Amino acid sequence: MELLLTNLAHGFGVALSLQNVSFALLGALIGTAIGVLPGIGPVATISLLLPITFGLPATTAIIMLAGIFYGAQYGGSTTAILLNLPGEVSSVVTTLEGYKMARNGRAGAALATAALGSFFAGSIATVLVAASGPLLTQVALSFGPADYFSLMLLGLVIACVLAQGSIIKAIGMVVLGVALGLVGTDVQTGQQRFTFGIPELSDGIGFVPIAMGMFGIAEIVLNLERPEAREVMKTKVGNLWLTKEEFRRATPAVLRGTVVGSFLGILPGGGASLAAFGSYMMERKMSAGRAQFGNGAIEGVAGPEAANNAAAQTSFIPLLTLGIPSNAVMALMVGALIIQGIQPGPRMVEAQPDLFWGLIASMWIGNLMLLVINLPMIGMWVKLLQVPYRFLYPSILVFCCIGVYSLNNNVFDVYMTILFSVFGYFCSKLKLEPAPLLIGFVLGPMMEEHLRRAMLLSRGDAMVFLQRPISATMLGIAFAALALMMLPNIRKGKDKALAE
Amino acid sequence: MQLKINTKDVVSGIFLVLVALIGLYLNQDHNLGTARRMGPGYMPMLVFWIQVGLGAAVVFFGLFNGPDPLEKWTGLDMGALAAGLAVGWIVWKVAPSIAPIFGQTYYAVGVGILAGMLVISISPGWRLVGLINAAMAVFGLLLDQVGFFAALAGTILVSAAAERTQTLKGTAGMLVFLLVLCWWVFIYELDIRVNLWPQF
Repeated sequence: MELLLTNLAHGFGVALSLQNVSFALLGALIGTAIGVLPGIGPVATISLLLPITFGLPATTAIIMLAGIFYGAQYGGSTTAILLNLPGEVSSVVTTLEGYKMARNGRAGAALATAALGSFFAGSIATVLVAASGPLLTQVALSFGPADYFSLMLLGLVIACVLAQGSIIKAIGMVVLGVALGLVGTDVQTGQQRFTFGIPELSDGIGFVPIAMGMFGIAEIVLNLERPEAREVMKTKVGNLWLTKEEFRRATPAVLRGTVVGSFLGILPGGGASLAAFGSYMMERKMSAGRAQFGNGAIEGVAGPEAANNAAAQTSFIPLLTLGIPSNAVMALMVGALIIQGIQPGPRMVEAQPDLFWGLIASMWIGNLMLLVINLPMIGMWVKLLQVPYRFLYPSILVFCCIGVYSLNNNVFDVYMTILFSVFGYFCSKLKLEPAPLLIGFVLGPMMEEHLRRAMLLSRGDAMVFLQRPISATMLGIAFAALALMMLPNIRKGKDKALAE
Repeated sequence: MQLKINTKDVVSGIFLVLVALIGLYLNQDHNLGTARRMGPGYMPMLVFWIQVGLGAAVVFFGLFNGPDPLEKWTGLDMGALAAGLAVGWIVWKVAPSIAPIFGQTYYAVGVGILAGMLVISISPGWRLVGLINAAMAVFGLLLDQVGFFAALAGTILVSAAAERTQTLKGTAGMLVFLLVLCWWVFIYELDIRVNLWPQF
């Protein structure tokens, strides 16, 4: 406990430096902005800004990128409540009750509930990250290569099980991602694999061109294909204060949402949108105000908003302790860390205390900033909504172009981005999810290394994966998760739960 | 079981299998090694065989869990796609013999992509995807020789052509605003190393 406090104090020392505070604020502002704007999400934005963060120290870069991610959770709720238009996937369920509250003249109360609930949940989840980090790290240090391999396999399987749509298609995309990760120089022999003699490919396919093409550019095309349906703001924001009655009803919902969100955020493939939905289902079943659901029940805003923010924070746990990304944003964080020369994994807490504790402290500071950014300054964000998409997409496009070029000062990366944007566009037409591909791409090279090492240690005996207890447990869970999804009833339940 | 074809899944599955087969073919160059000492070809072999299996499974289940047809792409769309691929490929191969500049680094690739994208954007179904990607190709082509500002302007104008609600005045305002913004962020603040003006 005492150690935890010392470490946190150290973290605040790092996070409160002028540079880190200003970049946390910048991240929070950008996050809120893209959260408010429908049509551009945290994945596209973070891949857009990755090249720009190269010049920053590692800690500062990660603090800013993290700020974008959880900032988007705050911003997304604003549009959901005021316009019935979710700024992010994770705030889809907020539209259900939040917009009704706004129609009833309680827009201000809904916004305040969302912001305060998010802040509370974010604070609790941050403490959870701080407490569980060193614990999990201790466990992870006893992992051998075989255990790592199985753990990553489990991560990939769960990411697929929880992905939208068909599971085998998701697994197919993961495997395709792993295959793309094979391109480049083989680490152990130095042989070039699948490079077609192109020198730019000898370091592997760039991570940014894939992410930016599939999530950034392809998304622009898909957004333009849908006709713009943005209604003019009719609702007044009104009084931001909650009534005593509302406060009494929202509090337990926020508490429940925090618990649900913290848990679902840790799961690979989980993250903010699943958490929000889980909490909504829970509130509709068990909250005291369940009779009012559908007519603007405050629990339906408080629970999911707390849950999505809690999940946004706790999804950092697998990344910071095991080095395993649980969703596409975390896969980008791995990319950012590797580019900075830091290998994500259990040794990070010891080797990079500034980064680990500084990031945790900055999350709390960031949440506090977001409270201020979102409540008193709500009018500014509503104005931002009036910028039409026809002005936004050329801006996103040129930022992508310059960003991707400045990776290596080479136009080759621009053309790779084009390739992946076309690929991403056709994937979406075939209902192939891009997120599993990105996770597979990031984990693939690490899995190969651990597989080769494990097999070398076991003298070529594949049974090692079943003989080591940790590894066997992971494989067992992965197998059980897959088997469960084969049952028609559970699959239908999942499809329904993710249909939103 | 009744045959209800999910065309999206069948096409996805065939795509996965095809990519995996190409991968297996290319992987013949790599030494497999043994299970104990895996060579550079071992992991690709595992990955691509798994992918073949998954792709086949996607095709198989796709025969029953439909119907989910593809988008209504017309004959014009399909023709434009084929023509775009052909034109892009020919331009890529021929460009270096037309002007020496296209022999340097990736200019031929860029011109090929640009030509191909413009051809597919003729059909209504691909207009957006063609023009947005053509706009990126313009950036790649112009940046090194004609400079930062010209490349940005080209990208903005081509991408603006994609959306029919753009007005002349709106586009002009956006152009000026973005040029100033990008100069401030990338040149003044971040100081990236690019040519700002045409090189002679």
